[in-house]
Amino acid sequence: MKHSHLTNDLQEQASLYAAGAMTESERREYAHHLEDDRCEVCRAEVDELQAAMSIVAFSTPPVSPSPAVRERLMEQARAAATRSETKGSMPFLSRHWLELLTSLATVGAIVIALAATYSNGELRRVEADLRSRISQLEVQLARSENLVARVTSPDIRIVNLAGQGQNVQASGRVFWDQKQKHWFFYAKDLPQLTADKTYELWFVPKTGNPVRAVVFNTESNGSTQFDIDVPDGLDLRAAAVTTEPAGGTDEPTGAFALLGAM
Amino acid sequence: MSDDRQVEQEDRQIIQRMASKDANALDAFYTRYGRVVFSFIFRIVGNRFDAEDVLSDVFWQVWQQSPRYDASRGKPVAWLLTIARTRAIDCLRSSSRQQLKTEEFDTQKDLAPSMREPDSFVLADTRQAVQDALGALPEQQRIPLEMAYFQGMSHTEIASALGQPLGTVKDRIRTGMLHLRKRLKPYI
Repeated sequence: MKHSHLTNDLQEQASLYAAGAMTESERREYAHHLEDDRCEVCRAEVDELQAAMSIVAFSTPPVSPSPAVRERLMEQARAAATRSETKGSMPFLSRHWLELLTSLATVGAIVIALAATYSNGELRRVEADLRSRISQLEVQLARSENLVARVTSPDIRIVNLAGQGQNVQASGRVFWDQKQKHWFFYAKDLPQLTADKTYELWFVPKTGNPVRAVVFNTESNGSTQFDIDVPDGLDLRAAAVTTEPAGGTDEPTGAFALLGAM
Repeated sequence: MSDDRQVEQEDRQIIQRMASKDANALDAFYTRYGRVVFSFIFRIVGNRFDAEDVLSDVFWQVWQQSPRYDASRGKPVAWLLTIARTRAIDCLRSSSRQQLKTEEFDTQKDLAPSMREPDSFVLADTRQAVQDALGALPEQQRIPLEMAYFQGMSHTEIASALGQPLGTVKDRIRTGMLHLRKRLKPYI
């Protein structure tokens, strides 16, 4: 139903909608009113209040994202733009290929006849390649399903690690299975180290010195992931990654690269 | 043309370029608003890891929906921030770890002070105006508004959390919103 003028009740509804304070069912119903009823009175009020509310976002303390976000986004956009250009030029290509195919139809028939004698062996090779590829994908899928099952388990506690010092762009995450005393560790955007350095992950207990977990290096894109068991008897306060001499050390000596409280 | 109008006009042109799949336009939009959007998302989701994922999703959605941007419905920056809030609240709600995230946010403030940087954003004037407007709100209006906007809580959840009658909470949100609109009119 369209409204002819704004009342206090309508203004309250518009305010709750713009502030995001409606319940889910109210929000759906109100959105239906705005979109399907095309109520210009309510729409104008909501647009103004939403505009005021949206700039409340400016009140938040400024924090910068890591440069990697922009790089990934731009890579994705450039790829999409390229696909769009390619798609735009398709009519020409289609006509071109249509003409080509027409003129090649006769030649094609001859090629098919010749290929038939060769194809049995070739098809068997292709089939073997595909079966091998399917097996690889099944293994990958099983690993992925296993990983998803593990990280979404209710027993999992997730700990975020923030980049430290010069590594603000880096971040990490520990999926901590407290029942199984096991960590799945994942990090991204860590800088690559020179051959004489390595990263070292530490269990940081509430009392006592940090306990060496594992030494690792990253992939070329700065990411890594691995599993590690948590030793018995550790009441953990934090997880930390430091930069250490190659081979690692028994106590942290280098700068913190990542740090996250439990 | 005032600075504000000029920025708005440029934003509209950038969105038109995005609609024609000019990747440099997305870069320009990100340069202009990436930081303020990230700060906003970070405030809602409470950790850098999720905030960066949401930030990326938001700008990707802007890129994809740029042909459907309706200029009659408001400024491009308001559109962008509305998308950002929706995505960030979705992220917050999709997690059953809301309490944990709040704790992480508080903890990470101590762990990573280097993440906090001085405000160099071109719209520092707007930031100051918003902070002044929020500061001028009585606490009883500001708190329920912030609970709704930054934490995605419904009026019933807010009433329950604050132990106040539902009607009172709704009225305070409305009054607070009207006050904000009046104070921020020059920036809308």
